[in-house]
Amino acid sequence: MKTKNYIIKFSALIFTFIVVPLFLYFSGNFERRNILMETLSIVTILAFSLLLSQFFTSRLNYKLMKQIRMVNVVAIHRFIGYIFISVILLHPFFIIVPKFFDNTLTPTDAFVRLITTYNTTGIILGLIAYGIMIILMVTAFFRFKMNLHYRTWRSLHGYLTLLFVITATWHVIDMGRHSNGSYTLFYLLVVATGIYYVMRKYLFKKTAKK
Amino acid sequence: MPIKSIKGCIGCEECIKSCPTDVIRLNPDSKKAEILYPEDCQICHLCRMYCPVDAITITPDKSIPVIVSWG
Amino acid sequence: MTTESKNMSRRKFITLAGAGAGFAAMAGFGMNLDWALNKPEIDTDALGINKISTDVLVVGSGMAGLFAAVKAHDAGANVMMVSKGRLGASGQTPFAKGIFAYDKDKEEISIDEFVAKVSRSALGTNNQAYTRQLAEHSLARVNELREWGFFESSLYNKSFSKPIEERNIPLQERVTITHLIKEDERVVGAAGFSIDEQKVLFYEAKSVILCTGAGGFKPNGFPICDLTHDGTIMAYDIGAKVTGKEWNDGHPSRGENPAACYDGWGDMFEQKPGTTGIEVRHDLGVDMNYMAYMNGGAAQMGPPGMGNQDNKVKGGPFTPEEFTKRDRGDGPPPGGENRKRPPRKEREDGPPGMGRGTVVGGSSAGMSIHKAEGLVPINDKCESTIKGLYAAGDALGSYMAGGIYTQIGSSLSGSAVQGAIAGETAANYSKNVKSHSISTSKLNSIEEEILAPLKREAGYSPAWVTQTLQSIMIPNFIIYIKKENLMRAALAYVEELRDHHVPHLRASNLHELRLAHETKNMVISAEMKLRASLMRKESRCSHYRLDYPEMDNENWQAWINIFRGKDGTMQLEKQPFDTVNQINSVRNKETV
Repeated sequence: MKTKNYIIKFSALIFTFIVVPLFLYFSGNFERRNILMETLSIVTILAFSLLLSQFFTSRLNYKLMKQIRMVNVVAIHRFIGYIFISVILLHPFFIIVPKFFDNTLTPTDAFVRLITTYNTTGIILGLIAYGIMIILMVTAFFRFKMNLHYRTWRSLHGYLTLLFVITATWHVIDMGRHSNGSYTLFYLLVVATGIYYVMRKYLFKKTAKK
Repeated sequence: MPIKSIKGCIGCEECIKSCPTDVIRLNPDSKKAEILYPEDCQICHLCRMYCPVDAITITPDKSIPVIVSWG
Repeated sequence: MTTESKNMSRRKFITLAGAGAGFAAMAGFGMNLDWALNKPEIDTDALGINKISTDVLVVGSGMAGLFAAVKAHDAGANVMMVSKGRLGASGQTPFAKGIFAYDKDKEEISIDEFVAKVSRSALGTNNQAYTRQLAEHSLARVNELREWGFFESSLYNKSFSKPIEERNIPLQERVTITHLIKEDERVVGAAGFSIDEQKVLFYEAKSVILCTGAGGFKPNGFPICDLTHDGTIMAYDIGAKVTGKEWNDGHPSRGENPAACYDGWGDMFEQKPGTTGIEVRHDLGVDMNYMAYMNGGAAQMGPPGMGNQDNKVKGGPFTPEEFTKRDRGDGPPPGGENRKRPPRKEREDGPPGMGRGTVVGGSSAGMSIHKAEGLVPINDKCESTIKGLYAAGDALGSYMAGGIYTQIGSSLSGSAVQGAIAGETAANYSKNVKSHSISTSKLNSIEEEILAPLKREAGYSPAWVTQTLQSIMIPNFIIYIKKENLMRAALAYVEELRDHHVPHLRASNLHELRLAHETKNMVISAEMKLRASLMRKESRCSHYRLDYPEMDNENWQAWINIFRGKDGTMQLEKQPFDTVNQINSVRNKETV
């Protein structure tokens, strides 16, 4: 019974963070480009949604943690983290990929234009989120070398994550090529749930202890 | 419609400047490009080619206004 | 007169107001009848006004404008560039991918032989001084372009910006110039409005160079919908002579999605530019219009201008013998052909832009032959008949190629060559001219004219007048296969638009204001085109009269110049081929 239970939970996670975004992608009325660009789009969308799933593959997901061993949860968390952060790290470059295949703007010119246009809140949020993401990644990578208390580490990671998720989601909703009502609703639901979990863990549990 | 959509705009205004027929404008609120006068689009694709983030979709079809006696 | 016209408009207003009341009553039936009411989105009183002074004002930012600005600056003048669009991205320049360069080390024939060959293909219609000048200067211009990185991208804004930025030449983009200003019998500036800054702009300049390109009737299938002969009409309005209106660019379009000019040209717009060597042709275009006319449509159409069809019809436009037998694959591309260009998609299917399937005509309707229409030059220095006013490229009726496509790729390099010459000439002229302050009364009346469509309480939309003009002018039996009675009929329509619709053009925002001025220019261009075509009672090069199908060398070794007579009406005169226009020469007036 226990085994089945976590399989169901995993299925729920996979459904929420892979099937739902894919469904939204294929059901949405988006302009389709060539296979390469569409693949990159799907990879980016999945990377972001799986990053959001990190809320639920951590200690926050108390029940899941009890059912499978913590080591495994951390392993999944780490795996998703590194793999998909690298996709998100690369996504600004995905955008200029077509410039490698035509005679219009050079990829460099296009990229410089991309990261130096500060008209829209979307770009500024994106750049901030990108910066936070790099800090998150570096601190996670050197977690044990930093010799932090677990609780300090967890706060650092948690609050940075909160900041990251809020700016990144706002960026995605504002700028995303595939941003539409359904995606916005989906992201907001996931983020709200995630934040609720974090807050409950960090704030309320702490207060309770006092 | 000729110029169909702008998705993932970063607000750099390249398309607005490059459009020979003033089809695209900057939305004052979102600071993103928006298609304001698609009826004047000449389907030359300059906007798309100048766009650094490949945000613009253009289709080859164009419908003309119906014939009326005055307008 | 003024009072009278005021009364007129007042009376018209009352009529419209009365009609408006009637409409309001009818609106009860659920009909939207406020078509004519102008609902301005902007407050004309809040529009700012700017006055800017410079030595040389370059209008237009294509190939001619680029070199005009650069060379005027290098000759020591203060230069300012103003463009309706964007540097390197407006007019036909961004779509021209082949540029001719005469390299004496590589070519087998001399410049003399080249000029003779062009003249033979052009059936004498070309101005040999400008044909020669093209060959002499083209390589130098192409080398400069190469230095600026022109050949490295399909988009020209970056390479064009290089020399302009290096010289700190002020550049104003998205500014629609509507008026040239003449005082004391010379040009003293120009006026227009900025779409982005929402301002009326006045330019005080010692000289003005029009690099405003050619134009058309905003046709479908050719990237010239921003070109409406603005420069030509502005100059005509202040008394300049213009020429070349009877010739026709005969580009066809695909039957499927004819408006999609990008798609029509395969991926050519996305190719990097390249150079071309000597290749003189006689690309008609109008021969296909003739075939469609005789065969009753586009069904069995072959490639344009190229003769290889089995269904060849008898008669039609004349092609000189030595230019008929060619192994043709391509029709004339916009601004020229590039031999070095990588193979296009659809190459095996036919000429660029055709692909498989039927083709339709008139994709560039309203445009004459590159460099044939525009201001009449009084010398080989791009000087117009108005003191201080210069023109270069497609805005100058230099007849560099004649009334027909001749040298491939010469359109783009011709603009570069002429731009440079105009720039230098204008700069030198400006050295000896004192700056002139435009009188306030003039400024006020011009501002009034610029903003008039915004202030009208009711009127016709520019889009509708344009559409009506297109229906009058674009049909094959009017503009390409010409005959007296139908052209007279079309002229009557165009005069109606000129007299009763243009004065009532309305605009609710600056986009529409631009359209209103463009529409006015197109209507006057249409009148010029019809009058010149009526006057030329022969067929030659790209001008074909069904009622005068033969070439008439006795009477028509002459260009047609058009100017505004003292009474304000359109006047036409002949100027013998390959002569220099003398401003004070006896005018052989002939009003059609």
